[in-house]
Amino acid sequence: MLYDVRLELHYDYIASVHGDRHLVRVTPISIPGVQRVIASSLSFSPRPEQETTFSDFFGNIVTTIAYTGYHHHLDVKLTARVQIEDQPAAADLSPTLPRLQEEIAALWSLAADSPHHFLAASPRVPLDTAITAYARDIASRTGSVRAAAMELCFAIHRDFRYDKDATKVDTGPSEAFALRRGVCQDFAHVMIAGLRGIGIPAGYVSGFLRTIPPKGKPRLAGADAMHAWVRVWCGVHAGWVEFDPTNAMLAGPDHITIGHGRDYSDVSPIVGVLRTSGGHHAKQSVDVIRVE
Amino acid sequence: MEKRNQRQSAKKRGVPGLIAGYHLLPGVPDEMIDPSGAIRPVWEGLIAALDDLGTEEVSARFERADQYLRDAGVYYRKYDGAEGKERAWPLAHVPLIIDEADWVGISRGLAQRAELLEKIVADIHGDNTLVKSGLLPPELIARNAEFLRPVVGIKPASGHFLHFCAFELGRGPDGGWWVLGDRTQAPSGAGFALENRVATTRALSDIYGKMHVHRLAGFFRDFRDALNGIARSGDGRVGILTPGQHNETYFEHAYIARYLGFMLLEGEDLIVEGGQVMVRTVAGLKPISVLWRRLDASFADPLELRYDSHIGTPGMTEALRQGSVAIVNALGSGILETRALAAFIPNLCRALLNEDLMLPTIATWWCGQAAERRHVVENFDTMMVGPAFATGLAIDDPHGTVLGAQLARPQREALLAELVHSGGDFVGQEPVRLSTAPVYLGGRLQPRPITLRVYAARTRDGWTIMPGGFARVGSTPDTAAIAMQRGGQAADVWVVSAKPVERVSLLPQEGEKLVRVSAGSLPSRAADNLIWLGRYAERCEATVRILRAYNARLAEISNPGQALLKDIRTYLGGLGVDATKALPPGLLAAIDSAANSASQIRDRFSPDGWLALADLRKTARSFAQRVEPGDDATRAMTVLLRKLAGFSGLVHENMYRFAGWRFLEVGRRLERAIQIAGVVAWCTRKGAPEGSLDMLLEIGDSVMTHRRRYAVSAGVNSYIDLLVLDPLNPRSVAFQIAELRSQIEQLPGGIEEGHLSLAAKAGLALHTDLRITEPEDMTTAKLNRLAADIGRLAGLIADAYFV
Repeated sequence: MLYDVRLELHYDYIASVHGDRHLVRVTPISIPGVQRVIASSLSFSPRPEQETTFSDFFGNIVTTIAYTGYHHHLDVKLTARVQIEDQPAAADLSPTLPRLQEEIAALWSLAADSPHHFLAASPRVPLDTAITAYARDIASRTGSVRAAAMELCFAIHRDFRYDKDATKVDTGPSEAFALRRGVCQDFAHVMIAGLRGIGIPAGYVSGFLRTIPPKGKPRLAGADAMHAWVRVWCGVHAGWVEFDPTNAMLAGPDHITIGHGRDYSDVSPIVGVLRTSGGHHAKQSVDVIRVE
Repeated sequence: MEKRNQRQSAKKRGVPGLIAGYHLLPGVPDEMIDPSGAIRPVWEGLIAALDDLGTEEVSARFERADQYLRDAGVYYRKYDGAEGKERAWPLAHVPLIIDEADWVGISRGLAQRAELLEKIVADIHGDNTLVKSGLLPPELIARNAEFLRPVVGIKPASGHFLHFCAFELGRGPDGGWWVLGDRTQAPSGAGFALENRVATTRALSDIYGKMHVHRLAGFFRDFRDALNGIARSGDGRVGILTPGQHNETYFEHAYIARYLGFMLLEGEDLIVEGGQVMVRTVAGLKPISVLWRRLDASFADPLELRYDSHIGTPGMTEALRQGSVAIVNALGSGILETRALAAFIPNLCRALLNEDLMLPTIATWWCGQAAERRHVVENFDTMMVGPAFATGLAIDDPHGTVLGAQLARPQREALLAELVHSGGDFVGQEPVRLSTAPVYLGGRLQPRPITLRVYAARTRDGWTIMPGGFARVGSTPDTAAIAMQRGGQAADVWVVSAKPVERVSLLPQEGEKLVRVSAGSLPSRAADNLIWLGRYAERCEATVRILRAYNARLAEISNPGQALLKDIRTYLGGLGVDATKALPPGLLAAIDSAANSASQIRDRFSPDGWLALADLRKTARSFAQRVEPGDDATRAMTVLLRKLAGFSGLVHENMYRFAGWRFLEVGRRLERAIQIAGVVAWCTRKGAPEGSLDMLLEIGDSVMTHRRRYAVSAGVNSYIDLLVLDPLNPRSVAFQIAELRSQIEQLPGGIEEGHLSLAAKAGLALHTDLRITEPEDMTTAKLNRLAADIGRLAGLIADAYFV
């Protein structure tokens, strides 16, 4: 599946800003056997005085930009052409939960995809007893790690309402869980907190969804903005499997990955430090068009 | 034989006074007395000398040491509520004496340990061979808050992670030294060790002079040279990066900066441009290549590390990626403080150095491993149990670390259950017992438990160990290491040699090239604080002068409703000062603000100036408790005025005429000009009550001059002439503006190739205007405009140097 991705982030500052510096994580990465970035281009307006790009701990592409002068707006524009490889439907090779613990303990690695990074609380996902209990209850009715993750993914979709006004970008999973509402970021954080609470390594995936669905299929929720879902380490043989709790499905050919992290804070599209006396208005637009 | 005689004689002389009743604790080694009850040879000289002095003289001398610390303003900050309080440094006066032979063992052991720690931290943030080969559990790293993923893979620009470490040691029951903890994040206390030494030798200079005590200065000189060596390969500047004045050990940061001649910097003094860390100075941005950091790593960069850090520098991590700055110790070094890591140190030493540890580590079991967890559970009653990922020392952790045997049943059950569920969160440690050393209590020496803090610095020739440090002395005789949580005192440590020792000073040696530091490196934040210190000090003086005049009249008239008194109250009210109180809160606030500005730049002016300010503040506060309006307050204001003059004099006479002094002077002149213009406008306005002009002269301290110069033709104009326009009256507005103009022109960029800066132009315009104005043209409106113009001049200076 070949896609053209276009992302625009637009910030209007109420008072002018200066001396600002931002980290931008919006460029999709290539993942062998999963997706291939054929071309990508990232541009900024106004033109930054400094711009560098590096690869972070988790392998994400980060662009850092800085301004010394005053400006009133910031536009970030990404265009990319991405090839998504077809994934054959995989059988459930994942172990039971106790067996998973043994596999984790036998894994002496700190590589970026090592499950050890995804077990403990992380900056935006504290462990929460209520979410853990919710996840434990669901997992207890399943046999394998992958089945437990799938059921939790379905349960969140069933029990939560997709509501753009219920939460904000800094809402924590505990609050979203109490509300049983939120957007993709909240669903992902709740699912991660639940899985980690019962000892299953889980991480955050930031990315895009195909905007116009294939004929006869419904348009997926979150397709008009940046999307987020969850990846779960399902043991040595199954490896990382991706679940989209917002749409109650496995991530598939319509999911385009930007990057991986422990939670939103590791892959937030843009984070900045700036000096200003006022706030800002933000706009975001996303188009993911299939190229024949 | 001869030795034994000596020992006996010393013992004989010592017994009656000083060490009578010095009872060794059973099974606990003592630093001063050997197991046979004899004084150890290295202590003999000190004990005999103290005994000869007698109780009275010893007390007097120890008081001298305390007086020194008070005079030097040595303090640390202690947080027991939301607001930290400054505490005097708790000196235990009797130094801890350690035989050089014993010290050689400590030094070798710590040099080995520092080398080992370097290899471990480099591997954790580098290739991870220790994890891959099964020597370090990945969980210990991946779950660790001090494992900073953004700096993984970045090679330190200096080539090393660790440059300065501290170690906490204790002597166990077997008489050997144990390492209780490693301090690698931002070790504190080296400056206090120096101050301990100075204070102790104040008290015991003659005794110190006769004993061969190793000096500390050489250690600091070597480390300073090492940092300068790293800097020379970059752009040549070294700074100490402090979290700021609210940090527990800010005093020490300022002290070391002054002692070693490094810039004292805060995160907001720095900006990253083009991948290079720059200091915002009054002469523009200057590159810096070495930062000795005293703040925890995660606070160093709000963009890539802790988003909630208000004391960091955005882009610092980017500068590290570019290799343009060396941070000492490198970000990430704090992970070595993780308590559970101690369990792996002995094996890592064998694996990485192919040797055994020379100094043993406190026995530690990480409960994330099944066998270790079982051991801790089975031996629960003889265990000290604490958080595995804690980075503080167990002896500094009054809440998290407990003795298994001392837990009540419910807590015991709960902890045992937690050990099973989340073993990885806990460590068990052997509860170390410490040795004792003498402290002076009630005229006698008493044994108290001690731990030793020792410092290691990386030099070009490898690790060097400070021959000394400080000993922490427990507040009770309980020698369980954990009892040190209850606080105590700090003693100097004397490493005594049998032979004379090398004497070093940080002053340049003969033949050494003299290096002059350029004046341009004043950070903008420091300059801003200097201006405000000058302004607040002057504002206090102006307020005190008006309050004195007011209270003198109140004492005479004793009718607060009288027109002139009411009028002054209105004027002071406009300044935020309520004159119905003898010591108005507005005045106390101005004094606090002066002290606050000063406390942020303690590396930049003399300890005497700081003391004068502290004394002023203390006096004003005590006056506020007891002084009554009227005569009493008049006298109180005279005292405050004298103390303010003392502060100004110390600053004026003792401060080097660097850019720093100029900013302080600019602040004083600005404020005095504004204050005088304001009060002259008020007192000479149409309808001002009778007596206003006399009072104005008194406030302007110009009664005598006025009588002499205008005996015949005194009138409103003569007052304006003297207090506003007279270029020779040091209290006139014109005098302040002339001084201001001259200072502004000498600031960086004040005049460049004949061109005046905006501030210099404004100063010149103001000055010229005052020089050509006649007294009769200086109306009330014009005076008020003048005060506003001076305020605008202050704004121009701020724009030019502080933004």
